[in-house]
Amino acid sequence: MPSVVQTAFERFGRWYIGRMAGSRRGLLEKTLGGAALLALAGAVPLALRKTRLQAPAKPLQFFTPAEYSIWAAVAGRVLTDAPPHVEVAEKADAFLALLSENDARDMKRLLALFDNALYSFLRGGPPRPFTQMTPEEQDARLLAWQSSRIAIERSGFQALKRLSSAVYFGDPATYASVGYPGPPTELVRSALLR
Amino acid sequence: MSTQRPDVCVIGSGPGGAMVASRLARAGAKVLVLEEGGHYTKEQFDMQEATAYPRLYQDRGNRATADLSIAVLQGRAVGGGTVVNWTTSFRTPDDVLAYWREHEGLALTPATLQPHFEEVEQRLHIAKVDLDDCNPNNRAIYDGCKKLGWQVDTTRRNVKGCLRTGYCGMGCPVDAKQSAALTYLPDAIKAGAELRPDSRAETIEWTGRRAVAVTGRDFRVEPRVVAVSGGALNSPALLLRSGIDHGPVGRKTWLHPTVALGAYYGERIEGFYGAPQSIASHHFARRPEGAGFFIEAAPVHPMLAAIAAPGFGAPLRAQMSLLPFLCATIALMIDGFDESEPGGTVTLRPDGGPKLDYPLGARHYECFRAAMKAVAQLHLANGAREIRTSHVAQVRITSEGDLARIDAAPMGPNLFGLFTAHQMGGCRMGTDPSRSVVNPQLRHHLLENLFVVDGSVFPTGLGVNPMESIYGLASWAAEHVKAALS
Repeated sequence: MPSVVQTAFERFGRWYIGRMAGSRRGLLEKTLGGAALLALAGAVPLALRKTRLQAPAKPLQFFTPAEYSIWAAVAGRVLTDAPPHVEVAEKADAFLALLSENDARDMKRLLALFDNALYSFLRGGPPRPFTQMTPEEQDARLLAWQSSRIAIERSGFQALKRLSSAVYFGDPATYASVGYPGPPTELVRSALLR
Repeated sequence: MSTQRPDVCVIGSGPGGAMVASRLARAGAKVLVLEEGGHYTKEQFDMQEATAYPRLYQDRGNRATADLSIAVLQGRAVGGGTVVNWTTSFRTPDDVLAYWREHEGLALTPATLQPHFEEVEQRLHIAKVDLDDCNPNNRAIYDGCKKLGWQVDTTRRNVKGCLRTGYCGMGCPVDAKQSAALTYLPDAIKAGAELRPDSRAETIEWTGRRAVAVTGRDFRVEPRVVAVSGGALNSPALLLRSGIDHGPVGRKTWLHPTVALGAYYGERIEGFYGAPQSIASHHFARRPEGAGFFIEAAPVHPMLAAIAAPGFGAPLRAQMSLLPFLCATIALMIDGFDESEPGGTVTLRPDGGPKLDYPLGARHYECFRAAMKAVAQLHLANGAREIRTSHVAQVRITSEGDLARIDAAPMGPNLFGLFTAHQMGGCRMGTDPSRSVVNPQLRHHLLENLFVVDGSVFPTGLGVNPMESIYGLASWAAEHVKAALS
């Protein structure tokens, strides 16, 4: 049963999103009609709980250290037991560096919202940033967003899940794990030599 | 910045733009083709998804509707979608042309288009696939349909010397696929046309009833005639950026919204190899219950499979580990044949690119449920061990008795997987300027020297893969563009 605060919060979110619907939006802006939610969240100390930082293996092009850490935490649950040498978050960082300005801003807002402790609390989750949650809590958060009644959470989940899984399973280092032998390069090479 | 003054500026080098450029250049016109994507050749097609999608697809492979509920696969390179499509070639169905004649006042008939299709089929080496050449991913559809008594057949493909590697969607590494980049564009260049890759047309300047210039970041073109061939989504966006917003620009965009199911077999299918699409069933193309759909195969490579698979964590990895045993079958809804359907709407993103909204309604959900059941049925008939849907709350089917569970699965944006590889409409053709953007000769209703020649002019979805229809229509329309020069 959602609390009064949660219901009010969702209503505010829907009102804000409806208001945004008449304006110009970027790829994820609808997801992040939540920019205002984030601003609201930022007004209280709970929202200031810190992201747990992880160290990137390469210099970052797109993410801040906090955003990198959020992405790495999400990818860690989307792709459980992913070998670290695939460097999913680093590859996502390189991919996202080429986003348009609007899409980049939206992605950054999504990550901030996803790791916001107050938003988590108001949505019935633990009062901690995603990066500070236990793996079980993180999975519960992802599950909740995946099938949420709130459209922006569902699309936010898909944005995070699709890109992290695309980066991972598109890496030749993971082909063997899914029984994919890889492209028939020898067949092509010999055909081109004929 | 230099100014070029060709007779015709063609914006976009996909099937529509390549064809019109070829026809006009060979007729003696001075033609300039602008293409926003790069020019890539077989040496650069490395058969890796991580290379191909960012390089050859719109928005680096990430194009989607605004709510992310429908992933949009759309080419972006010299040759446009013909470089990355799966080679399936159909003429425009007769009943679709009849619908357009009745509802939009068009004069197009099968006889009108026949010589154009025949020429296209010869130039592109379009030929019917031999059943023995189908890979198991496609053959399962054929066998399942046959067992149920459903209509099914091999498709026709535009290939020459095909090795059936399975990588059409990443650019053909041996130039077997007869894309526009290997056929009509070289024809145009041989006849004197100039091709300018990496050149995005930002706006069309116009005054009164004439387009006067096409401008980009580092170029300006002042042609006598403009042919907009950016494809559905990009062509309406260009018109909107240019303030050419008369009529329903961007509205009535059709996608053949597509659901995918995975059928898992006891033996290896290896759907990553072999011609990606060689079988199609149109058994359900006309349904009294609602929108029709048709059934085809989709190639099975890890990145696409992971994006299409629901869930995350251990269930996602477990499903991915079954990749060699997977038949990926798609069902494409035939949208646009019910006047109440709003279709998609293209508006502008802050960066000027197309923002696509495509609302889903009861007609869609009824069709998707029926399509999922049909795909599951054919694989059950063919002996699949299990069929899995793309619902977030995934439905797993091992017997006919499970089919009803599809009706109970939650449906809504981002509650199940949807994608589109066929974008149509948005600059529809017709006689009524309140319902269409261009007239039946593809000339803009207001601007007398501006034509739209691509899939955006289709008043409805086609019910078949659109490439050959775009070529055929562009071949027919080239005469009208040429007439505007005189």
